[in-house]
Amino acid sequence: MRLRVVLADDSLLFREGLARLLMESGVEVLAQTGNPGQLLSAVRTHEPDMAVVDIRMPPTHTTEGLDAAAEIKRVQPGIGVLVLSQYLETYAAIRVLTSGPGGLGYLLKERVSDLRQFAQAVHRVAAGELVLDQLVVERMVARRRADEPLAALTSREREVLSLMAEGRSNRAICDQLWLGAKTVETHVRSIFSKLELASTADDHRRVLAVLHYLRS
Amino acid sequence: MDRRAATSRAVLRRRSVGVVTALTTPGRVPSWWLPVLIAAAGLLVAGGAASAWATCPCAKLPPDGEAARLVTGLSFVGVGLIAMKQRRRRRVGLLMAAVGLTWFVYDLGWVYEPLTYTIGTVGAGLYQPILAHLTVVFPSGRTTSRVDRTVVAGAYALYAIASLGTQTLWDPRDTGCPCPANLLLLHHDSRLYAIADATSSVLLIVVTAAVLGVLVWHWRRSGLPGRRALTPVLASSLPIAALVVATTIVGENFLPPLAALALTALPLGFLAGLVRLQLERAALGSLVMELEGDAPIGRIRDALARTLHDRTLEVAYWMPSEQGYIDAEGRPFPLPAAQPHRSVTLLNHLGQPVAALIHDAAVYDNPDLVDAAAAAARLAIDNERLQAEIRAQLEQVRRSRARIVATADAERRRIERDLHDGAQQRLVTLSLLLGLARDQAASTPHGTLVHALDEAADELRSALAELRELARGIHPAVLSEAGLKPAIEALAERLPVAVVVSSPGTRFDAAVEAAAYFVAAEALTNAVKHAQASMVRVTVTHSAGCLTVEVVDDGAGGADPSLGSGLVGLADRVGALAGRLEMVSERGHGTHLTATIPCPPSLSPTARRVGGVSAEGATGP
Repeated sequence: MRLRVVLADDSLLFREGLARLLMESGVEVLAQTGNPGQLLSAVRTHEPDMAVVDIRMPPTHTTEGLDAAAEIKRVQPGIGVLVLSQYLETYAAIRVLTSGPGGLGYLLKERVSDLRQFAQAVHRVAAGELVLDQLVVERMVARRRADEPLAALTSREREVLSLMAEGRSNRAICDQLWLGAKTVETHVRSIFSKLELASTADDHRRVLAVLHYLRS
Repeated sequence: MDRRAATSRAVLRRRSVGVVTALTTPGRVPSWWLPVLIAAAGLLVAGGAASAWATCPCAKLPPDGEAARLVTGLSFVGVGLIAMKQRRRRRVGLLMAAVGLTWFVYDLGWVYEPLTYTIGTVGAGLYQPILAHLTVVFPSGRTTSRVDRTVVAGAYALYAIASLGTQTLWDPRDTGCPCPANLLLLHHDSRLYAIADATSSVLLIVVTAAVLGVLVWHWRRSGLPGRRALTPVLASSLPIAALVVATTIVGENFLPPLAALALTALPLGFLAGLVRLQLERAALGSLVMELEGDAPIGRIRDALARTLHDRTLEVAYWMPSEQGYIDAEGRPFPLPAAQPHRSVTLLNHLGQPVAALIHDAAVYDNPDLVDAAAAAARLAIDNERLQAEIRAQLEQVRRSRARIVATADAERRRIERDLHDGAQQRLVTLSLLLGLARDQAASTPHGTLVHALDEAADELRSALAELRELARGIHPAVLSEAGLKPAIEALAERLPVAVVVSSPGTRFDAAVEAAAYFVAAEALTNAVKHAQASMVRVTVTHSAGCLTVEVVDDGAGGADPSLGSGLVGLADRVGALAGRLEMVSERGHGTHLTATIPCPPSLSPTARRVGGVSAEGATGP
């Protein structure tokens, strides 16, 4: 079955391009809207698998996308929301990923230029995963800390940590790093013990625990 | 009616609050000969009265009664002379002396000649309307209302009618008295005389009651200073009036000696009133002392409020450049509109407005005191006015600086938004279209075209990244969207040193947030660039109406605020909000920068759409 999506962005040109791109990668675009109100009614009407939402929309052009994501999650928690933004801010990333259960994502807008990766992110959010732009994670991991706790990690462990923060599952990490399932599991366990984090089987909670750790 | 009161009234009616007085009223030198003349006349008349009484062959007052009469009359003359020593009490002083001198007309009756006897009997009560006059106009010496004037005129008229009316019908020999003839006797009719006598007694009681009524009315209407003068007069005249009425009804010709002595309480009551007013004025002396030297803001108001017994008193200062009034802090102070219980006294000097006193209308019952207080405080008022003017000008400059900063901030926000919605948005769309083109090219055997498009996409990514940083430097959207804490944290993330941020997650005024943010940004940049710090602590606190930003690093120190234009610009920005920027930077001991910015309490979360609240929640355990 084809993935069913609604789009919200107040730039018509970008929206049209995005719709074309998604359709070419086999996604059905049910509706295109330019403001949060229309987005919410389109979500109610079409009950899509997910929504791709620009963060700045009328009326104030600030963070309407964040509020819309939270509202969609409040009304229909099963619908995934992918928020696009021209800037990446840690606070906004945390707000998106904590706005409800199920699939959520926060990506730099220009990620649409890599069709394959972008379509992959859309599918992951629709499948209920958390997706975080790697630029945010890079910044969080690179951030200097007074006691440098990340120094205890090997470079491979740091790679695994970053991928976990981006919302990847163990399987995805295996594929990405060309590693065996057992090896990845060992890395994950080692990271959690070195950072004194309580390990958890739930992917969502694992992402948030890692983000919380990186942010503090 | 005197002209000054007329002017005051006219102004009061026109503006219904305004009373114009000058700070410097021209003085009139009191003549020295009048008091001497009055004193001499008093002694002469009293001496004459005593000897007339002593030599009279008639049935006369007992010695103690006559002595009491002498004391009473001389007391009025004496108190009048005391009062006259002050220029502004000259009128009441003259009235008191007149009461004292006319008091002795009665004693002419002891001289058993028809002329003196007639004058003595007809003029025995002449002091009464003068006493009524005195009581009504005390302590200012002037009538202040139509009621006042009616009562005074009525007292004189009734006295004239009653005394002449009875005198023309009275034959003293009727009673078998060996008295001299009544020269004014026109028609001898003892029945008619009895009716006239009873009528005049009733009129006397009516006038006495009217005068007392006016006195009580004045007392009630007066402010505290006025009451201080009127209370002793009221206290001494009430029982005496009762006595007068009682003896009139009983029909005694002479007051009993004790009652005559009690009459001396009356001049003493007036004296006490004057002394108490004098004490008020003495307080002005201490007012002048108090106002010498450097005055903290508002001291003049407090001192004048104390002196004038008006806690509600306000002082406004004239600001020529604004053609309006300001308060001691320099804030605009429009004079209040018409109110029945508030008066405005405008203080002028050399024809120029200096200040305005806004006070309880009751204070103006004692215009002397207001004038005197204003005159006493003139130098201090002028001084405070100049200070207030400077404060007002400083405030204007500060506001204009704040406006310039706010305008610049708004402009930066606008540029950032234009970039976001314009160039950035177009380039993002371009990158999308390039991606689509690349995919199409990939499905054809054009390997070099795919490569070229990939290169173009890379270049575009760099351009977008640069544009993002540029827009961020112009105005960090996160600051206006999410507030100080996420904005400073975002700054900290991007720096190659460890930064510990501690800040409340609440929102503040946009100008305050911007100033605090740029202080933190500049200090962090300096810590990294110049001080080679390895650790920086940014602490934001909000307490006592101030937002404090502290940035402490462990770098090289020794920073010179005069070298970098960044710090000067920051000091200007903080100063525009009436804040302070302080830097301690000893070589080898790091740099400690503190900005303190006046800031109203945090805005409620609903006041700003996007709060740091949910982000805050996400970081919680």
